[in-house]
Amino acid sequence: MYSKLVQQTPKINAQLARYGVKFGLYKQGEFHERLFPFDAIPRIITASQWSYLERGLVQRVDALNAYLRDLYGEKRIIRDGVIPETFAFASSGYLPQCEQIMPPKGIYSHISGIDLVEGDDGVWYVLEDNLRIPSGASYPLVARNLCRRCDAETFRTLSIQDNRNYGELLRETLDYVNCGGINVVLTPGRYNAAYFEHSYLAEKAGAVLAEPSELFVKDLKLYYRDANEDKLVGAVYRRTSDEYLDPLCFVPDSLIGIPNLMSAYRAGNVAIVNAPGNGAADDKGIYYFVPKMIEYYLGEEPILHNAPTYLPYYPDDLSYVLENARTLVIKDVAEAGGYGVVFGSDLSDEDLAELLAKVKAEPRRFIAQEVIDFLCLPTYVDGEEVMRKADLRAFVLSGASTKVWPSGLTRYSREEGSAVVNSSQGGGFKDTWVLGADLAGSKEEADAVRAASEVAENDCQED
Amino acid sequence: MRILSYSFETQLNFSGSVTNHDFILRCAPKSTPFQKVLDSQMIMIPGTHLMEQVDGFGNRLHVGSIPEAHDSFSFTSYGLVMVDQEAECAEAPHPMYLRPSSFTQPSHEAVVFAGRALQTIPNAHVWKRAVELMHAVYRHFTYDPLATTTATTAAQAFSMAAGVCQDYAHSLIMMCRAKGIPARYCAGLMEGEGATHAWVEVHDGRNWRGLDPTNNRVVDEAYIVFSHGRDFEDCSIERGVFSGAVDQSQRVKASVSKDGGATRFAEFAEAAQQ
Repeated sequence: MYSKLVQQTPKINAQLARYGVKFGLYKQGEFHERLFPFDAIPRIITASQWSYLERGLVQRVDALNAYLRDLYGEKRIIRDGVIPETFAFASSGYLPQCEQIMPPKGIYSHISGIDLVEGDDGVWYVLEDNLRIPSGASYPLVARNLCRRCDAETFRTLSIQDNRNYGELLRETLDYVNCGGINVVLTPGRYNAAYFEHSYLAEKAGAVLAEPSELFVKDLKLYYRDANEDKLVGAVYRRTSDEYLDPLCFVPDSLIGIPNLMSAYRAGNVAIVNAPGNGAADDKGIYYFVPKMIEYYLGEEPILHNAPTYLPYYPDDLSYVLENARTLVIKDVAEAGGYGVVFGSDLSDEDLAELLAKVKAEPRRFIAQEVIDFLCLPTYVDGEEVMRKADLRAFVLSGASTKVWPSGLTRYSREEGSAVVNSSQGGGFKDTWVLGADLAGSKEEADAVRAASEVAENDCQED
Repeated sequence: MRILSYSFETQLNFSGSVTNHDFILRCAPKSTPFQKVLDSQMIMIPGTHLMEQVDGFGNRLHVGSIPEAHDSFSFTSYGLVMVDQEAECAEAPHPMYLRPSSFTQPSHEAVVFAGRALQTIPNAHVWKRAVELMHAVYRHFTYDPLATTTATTAAQAFSMAAGVCQDYAHSLIMMCRAKGIPARYCAGLMEGEGATHAWVEVHDGRNWRGLDPTNNRVVDEAYIVFSHGRDFEDCSIERGVFSGAVDQSQRVKASVSKDGGATRFAEFAEAAQQ
């Protein structure tokens, strides 16, 4: 079914390189740009699986948005004791500068990247919510385009949901919160590693690509400096982090910010996408509480599962963690980007005892999780089909309604058995095919899924 | 209860022309349970349109920009405030005032010092302990404007045992929070002080109450609050960015008075009109 595509892999990768589909990474203090290898064997998600994921993702993101509105506003969930205040405000992503700001249409997380894995048991688990600047939507978009060109027949005969509507979804989202004026995509500049994605998404969403020096605030309104006349900006899809948005509000010596952007935002004259301060809802300590948020704000049972998580802050959880540390992964809430993540099974007795002493001394600083054995996907590595662990970043867009892009970024690990799929660790990515509803139960779908899952099962047993 | 008139003037001189000057000001008193703003005015030179907002900490913010070339910049804030330290606020403290902020990361040395200061009264009422810490900070520090800069942290100033009101306030905040007492930074004016002043408010379980470690004094009706925050950074009086490679110098004048305050305020307002 994808054999023709697989033959074209080198060609597709060459095209991706020509496009400049790269990511940047810091290693030992030096900045490197790397190509992101593409594997032509897609991840296939059936229509029924997708409709389950879709409902769960919409529910999760709606609850996260409700939490952010509450956290920076009334703080009901904290007053009602559902989330302890030490967790809510200990997050480094919590920005008191954003207190009492109601963003346009009450939306904080417009573009959410939810990282999931499918367990060996067939259950999907959410591993992480990314509500700040989730990146990576452009990779599968470009790859899909190239794949369609290489093998039009596959895409004509199989019912694969078209994912080329991402730009349209993005534009709808920006238009919905726009406070009057044009939409811009704010990039730190052409030397930024993700510049390709910024320019690509701006083009697809029909927005103006702007650097900080092209934007300014006057009388609490944001303008784009155009050759002919300055244009009012109603929504800014920024690809710079919170602390570099406005030197008068955050880091004072920031050169890439826009002075008084936060004042324009506070006055309700411009939407910032995603809203500043979202980090308060996507850190490791708050993750534990997302199912509780769903119950609290929506009055619903959570559809998607969290990986089973323990908070040593609660005495029962602490004793469980102390007894079962060998089988758990222990994470330092204060650390980000894969740092401070320790598998109990990897530690020597002394190191484990030392870590547990820290957990006992500062229980609020840690969370512990069961290790999820996640499913392997067939992957071509060095000319051979092998099995590799993979995750999925689903993109959820919140505008007039909350929608899930029928695609996503599937990342696989380079090394056999490794669960580390971060692009910075040398992995690659795949296209994600969501099969169309009209063909549910059809022979093709059944075949495709069976073929994929059979191989997966066999190989995973060997790991 | 007292009525105070105040005026506060800052002049920035640049060694050359600057353009695209964007700024925010936090130098107008806000109404709180303890102070009611009766009148408040702002004069800018060069003249420019100011927009007023309330920031995330509940402080009044004046926002403006001067795109045209200018080589000096001045702002004057003046008005009338009714202060009343007998009032009650019944406001629970935000948890951020119990956590270290960038300027108030605790040092081991300071926490030990605070523990020793409270040795004889470890279980006393919050307020009593906070006052004791203020005395200890006051005795520990020597007032020295040359010892520190606006970038000095609480831990650095504490280990030098020298600094200005900002450093005294940061040190007291660092110790209070380390001892579980909610504490916040206050910037504003004080009667008899010719520039802006900084002090601390601690939450005694019912109310926010002021302590001025620089003067070893419980805050009374001689103080006017401009802003509250976690530390100095949240309460900056003026913050600006502009184009132009210039040196800048600053001149500041402040006054707070009660006697014939209203008359002097009227004179001042009249002079300002001209």
